[in-house]
Parts: sequence; C-alpha cells; structure tokens
Amino acid sequence: MFEFEVPEVDYTQYSNRQLVAVPLVVLGLALAVLGGWYLVTGAPVSPSIDFTGGSELTVESSLSQAELRDNTFDEPVVSVQQVEGENRYIITFDSSNLEPIEETARSSEQMEFLGSGTTSPIFGQENQRLAVVGIGVAFLGMSLLVFAMFRSVVPSIAVVLSAFSDLVIPLAVMNLLGIKLSLGTVAALLMLIGYSVDSDILLNNHVLRRSGGFYESTYRAMRTGVTMTLTSMAAMAVMAISATIFGIELMASIGFVLVVGLAADLMNTYMLNVTLLRWYKYEGVKR
Amino acid sequence: MSTLKENWRVVALVTLLLLSAVALFIPGVPPGTSDTEGAGAANQSTNLQYGIQLSGGTRIQAPIVGTTAEGVDVAPADEADLAQATADRLGLDPIDVRVSNQTETVEVFSNNVSTGEVESALEAEGYEPSEVRPGVTRDTRENMVSVINDKLRESALTGGSVQQVSSPGGRSFISVTAPDRGREELIGLLEERGVVRVYAVHDNTENGSYVREQVLSQGDFAGIGAAQRSETQGTHVPVTVKQSVAERYANDMVEAGFGSGSTCRDSDYDHENLQNSQADCLVTTLNGEPVFIGGVDPGLGQSYRNGEFANNPQFIMQTSNMSEATELELALKAGRLPAPLDFDSAESQTLSSALAQEFQQRSLLTGILAVIAVSLVVYLRYGRPEVALPMIVTALSEVFILLGFVAFVQYPLNLSHLAGFIAVIGTGVDDLIIIADEILQQGKVETGRVFQSRFRKAFWVIGAAAATTIVAMSPLMVLSLGDLSGFAIITIVGVLVGVLVTRPAYGDILRSLVLDED
Repeated sequence: MFEFEVPEVDYTQYSNRQLVAVPLVVLGLALAVLGGWYLVTGAPVSPSIDFTGGSELTVESSLSQAELRDNTFDEPVVSVQQVEGENRYIITFDSSNLEPIEETARSSEQMEFLGSGTTSPIFGQENQRLAVVGIGVAFLGMSLLVFAMFRSVVPSIAVVLSAFSDLVIPLAVMNLLGIKLSLGTVAALLMLIGYSVDSDILLNNHVLRRSGGFYESTYRAMRTGVTMTLTSMAAMAVMAISATIFGIELMASIGFVLVVGLAADLMNTYMLNVTLLRWYKYEGVKR
Repeated sequence: MSTLKENWRVVALVTLLLLSAVALFIPGVPPGTSDTEGAGAANQSTNLQYGIQLSGGTRIQAPIVGTTAEGVDVAPADEADLAQATADRLGLDPIDVRVSNQTETVEVFSNNVSTGEVESALEAEGYEPSEVRPGVTRDTRENMVSVINDKLRESALTGGSVQQVSSPGGRSFISVTAPDRGREELIGLLEERGVVRVYAVHDNTENGSYVREQVLSQGDFAGIGAAQRSETQGTHVPVTVKQSVAERYANDMVEAGFGSGSTCRDSDYDHENLQNSQADCLVTTLNGEPVFIGGVDPGLGQSYRNGEFANNPQFIMQTSNMSEATELELALKAGRLPAPLDFDSAESQTLSSALAQEFQQRSLLTGILAVIAVSLVVYLRYGRPEVALPMIVTALSEVFILLGFVAFVQYPLNLSHLAGFIAVIGTGVDDLIIIADEILQQGKVETGRVFQSRFRKAFWVIGAAAATTIVAMSPLMVLSLGDLSGFAIITIVGVLVGVLVTRPAYGDILRSLVLDED
C-alpha cells in the first residue's frame, strides 16, 4: 500500500521576493477580475436570485432545453440548467411573480412540477445587505482574534492577508466559471474564513511559540497543515462532485467554493505567510 | 477505577453518545413529541425533523403590511373613535386601523397609504405622533404568529410552523412552513376567513320556547378593538357596529326583549339544545361555534330603546380573564390576520415530496462518500490503522452527537445543514490530525507526562482554530439569512462538542495506544 508524505520544501533556495510574488500576483489577478466585473456588470460578483430577486423552477420534462428556454413560458427565462444525466431542469426567471410560472408548469403535460422558489427584489436587497454585513463582521472578528492571539503585527497581518486572499480567489474563480453568489456560497465563504486560518495559526504557532529553527518548525507545521487541508479538500471535493451528479445545487456550490478556497489557502499559507514570517524572524525582529 | 478516572474524557464521550442515541431513536424523548405519533415527517425511524428541502412542502417568508405612528397619546376611551376617524380620512375600513393606548401607537394596515398620509391624518385629528415608520408593532407581530399558529393547527396540518424573524436594523417578517402543501394552498389557508355571527337568544313571548335570531353578521362590524382590561369594566373586547346597521340592530334587540337588559351567564345558554337555555343571551359564533355568551347591560338596553345607540354604536364583550379576551378578539376577527402579509415581496420555496425524498437519500450518500474520502486520505497519510481508525470513529461520533442534539431540539434539517455536517467532519478530522502529529512526530512517547505536555501544546492550536471558526460563524446565527442561521448553529455546536469532548477523548485513546506499544 502506498503512503503519501508531505514533501519537504527547501525554502532557502528562494528569496522572499520570489516566494511572495506568486500569491501576490494571483491575488492581484483575482482582484482585477472582481474589479473588471464591477466595471462591466455593476457588481463585483454575479448575484443569484437570492440577492436580486427572481424565481426558480425545478421540473422533470420531456422538452428540450431550448424549448424550455424559448417558447414554454410567458415570462422571460434567464437560464435553463440540466441536471447531469437526467430529464430534470432548473429554470431561472427574473420575475418574482411565481404564480403564473408555477401554473404553466403544473398544467403542462410535458412537465412534472418538482419544486420552486422565489425571492422578491425587496428580500433580495435585504439579503444582500445582511450578507455583506455578515462577511464583514466575521472577517473583522477573525482579524481581531488573530491579533489578540499573536500580539505582534507582522505575523497577524500575514494571517489576515492570506485569509483575505482565500476569500477573494474563490470569488474570482466563481465569476470566471459562471457560478453565481447565492446564500449557500456565502455560507461557504464564511466557513472559509474560519477554516483557512487554521493552517496559518498552526504555522505561526510552530514558528513563533516553539523552540527550534525556523525551517525545522516550518516543516513540522507544514506536515500537519498540508495533511489537514488535503483532508478537508478531499471531503469537500467529494461533496462537490457527488452533489453535482445528484443535482443538489446548494451542496455542490458550497463544496466547490471550499475546494477552491482551501487550494488558495495552501498557496497563501506556504508561500505568502511563510515568507512574511521568515522576514519577521530574520530581519523584522532585529530592527 | 483509576483507569476510568484517567480516561474520564472517553467516559464523557461514551455518555454523550448514549444520550444522543436516546434522543435520536427513542420515540417521545425530545420535548414536544409524543411516542404515539411522529412529530413531522412520515415513516419515522428516528426523531429527526426534516425541513421542507428534505421532506417536501412550502415555506413562505413575507413581511407584514403596515405603517406605525409612535407616541400617539390617546385616551383609552378614544381608541375606537380615533380608529374610525383615521380610517375615514384614509379611506379604509376601520378594521385596518389599530389604536392602542397602552403602546401609544396607531397602526394602519394597508399598502396604499404612505407614512406622510398617516401622519397628516393623525395631525388632522389633533394628535402629534413622534414618529411614523413603516412596519408594525411587536404586539401585532406576536399576534400574527399566534393567529397563524391557530390556523395551521385548525387545518389539521401536522408539522406546520410559524415564527417571526427580524434582522438587526432591517425589516421583520413572518416565516410560515407547511409540509406537504403547495404555495397556493398555503397562501389560500392563510387568507381564509371564518364566519362570525351574532345571535339574540330569547324566549318567545307567545309559547315560552327559546328562539335564536341572527342580529349581526361579520360585515356589520365597523371595528373590533384590541382585548383590554379596565378598572370599571374588567377584561373585555370593544366592538363597533357600522352606522348603517346600528338602528336596525338596536330595533331588533328591543323586539327580542333586550330593551331593559338581561342577565346571562355561560351556563344559561345551551348551544346543542336550545330549549334547555335559561335566560336571554347575546351569543356570538365563529363557524357555528359559540365564542361569546353574555347578557346585555341595562344601560346598553336603554340606549337600544331610546335611539342613543344609533348615534354611538359601540358596546363591549366582557370576559372573565385576559386570555379569554384575546381569544375572543381573534375569533371576532374570524381568522382574519391581524395585518395582511405582503406576498408580493415575499420569499418562498416549494419542494415536491418526491424531489425532497430524493435529496434526502442522495445527500446522505454524499455524506457517506465524503467520510470515505476523508478516511482514505487519513489512512494513506499515517499508514497505521491504530491511528487512523480511531480518528474516523471519533469524527463520526462528533456527527452522531450533533444529530442527537438536532433531534433533541427538534430543529428541522435542510440541505445546508447537511453541508454543515460534512464541514464538521472536515474540521473534526483536521484537529485530530494536529493531535496525532504533535504526539507522534517527536520521537517516542515514554511517559504520561511527555504525552500530557504534547497534548496541551496541540490543544492551544485547536482552541485557537475553534475560536476563529466560532467567531466567523457567529454573525450568521443572528442575521436572518434563510437557513443559514441553522447552518451556523450546527457548525458552532459541532466545534464546541469537538473541542470540549470528542477531541480530548481522542487524545486519551491515542495515549493508551501509544503507551501500550512500549
């Protein structure tokens, strides 16, 4: 049976600048995507009907995707999504007046009604406001806690910065892949705030609070931290894949956001955070 | 004995597991359930409650229509007049205006009236509200919840629930959940009205037998006041009869022999067997069932006779206590919601039970697959079943305890909660990895003391990580974002159970395994 070991990275080979460059470039690209999105669409992300208002219908139907989109409903259809390998479709509408839409689906012989959801624009706005407040408060709370735990500026900033990047990168990837920001993905982002700082805390703790050389401590923290993150990624990837196959949108998007965020976290912890710590240990402290 | 003491964490874990098993599988254990019938979903093999995403049904969240003027200093006696006057000025039915001396508020339940219009209407009546805002008072919201609750109960709808949700600094709304109902059906149920009738019951002067004569119907009321208590009149509900029918009603009452009043107690009237009645009574029914039985005060009787009543068509229905008064108020409003719900700006979700059942099975399967994936990674990493296996078992027991908790508090499970469970497995195993690495990686563990110090070091990181997760999730607990508060609660409880019970227990298990080797 094969076993995997976390490889030992020889950090001495790389300068601080080299190491930091990669995560900072990725963060910059991600911010550019969000900024560009804002300029083009007026919002940094594409909000789902949870935030804009609108309706969603799930039906089992013998009709084709094009037929469902173009000439089945009186209301304009935003998108028709087919569930992998089944005759099941999730149809999204701008209108939040569900009654006529549901009526069409229930009275049609070619469609079997399975479910529906609607959010009024007023509710959507309120959700948007609350989601922004929620993410803001969570992030702020996490940052304060990190500062309180380490009581030194550079290591704390390293953690907060990589957590920020862990949030921004999945958002940008979602934009690029056409995944909309829904309540479920907001939950995933909040989880990510809590989740992704685990490995950073572990690293800082090993480097700052334990005896032993910097590289030795880093390697030990890495062995544990990488295993942790990979385990979580395995759980989330399996959830994302099987929920996609099963057509459970909510779980699929939560899983997906966490996989991307945790992958970003691997990069940010072991390139960005490590480098800031190294600078702090060897140069910052002496000043 | 000493081993038990040393391993008290394992003992605590086993105890919690047993309690969870009891909460999950023994019918009737969670408060509010009974052992004869299931609480909500059909085919119950556990005490778990499923939300509509996993059992089918509809949930509607809608704001209450209304405008409230605060700081209106109105005397108790002027309540009805002010309601009538305000309604007239705004072109509304008086039933859509609620005036309360207790909370010093005037509420207007209509979508077509602006805050400015309400303000000027009140000013024209000589009142100076300190603030006019959209929304309704807490009293009204609580009233809504209890009325809707009654409606759900009466419709024999099992497992239906209603609650008011408000977010800090935002609107508040009412959330209604009904299993096995479509959206239209649920809205229909909420808007359904009952039939209220008022009868004069009196003995026929010719042959002495009792007759029941209808004197008022639902449409004849101009207003139903709020249940209240006063020094002189006790607990009661004031009602106002429409001007147009007041004279006809007064005449009917005089003809029925109430012109000089009558005394009637509850026991004097026999609804099933009219002829067993013993006095002249005024009886009010809702859907044919009596909700108020009472006599007529001599003063009131006189006003019927001399025509004064037609000028000021109000009377009160007295009850023996406040809760009866509240019930009577609701009954007189005949299932009419105290304020309308704004379904146009609502949020709703409907799932057929077929789809929900499928979600239930498939999400369970997804969870199992995720556990297998985690187990595989952990096994590959450590290659030692004696380290990996307890890890998986510990993480699973965390989920089991959480399920027990959820069953005990009867929290309805939805998809986002299941995602939360999978997340808990993820974080749980993460922390166990920290413990295992800390203890195993620095050479042999020779004594219990070395073990203790390493364990404590590992725990600092775990505690810090748990604290950040709790801080990150706690805003969601308070904000009313769909199911997400449930998701947050599950994650937080999961982290707490993990940090306080299961993860320390894993340390104990690992210790006995590691120390035994030597």
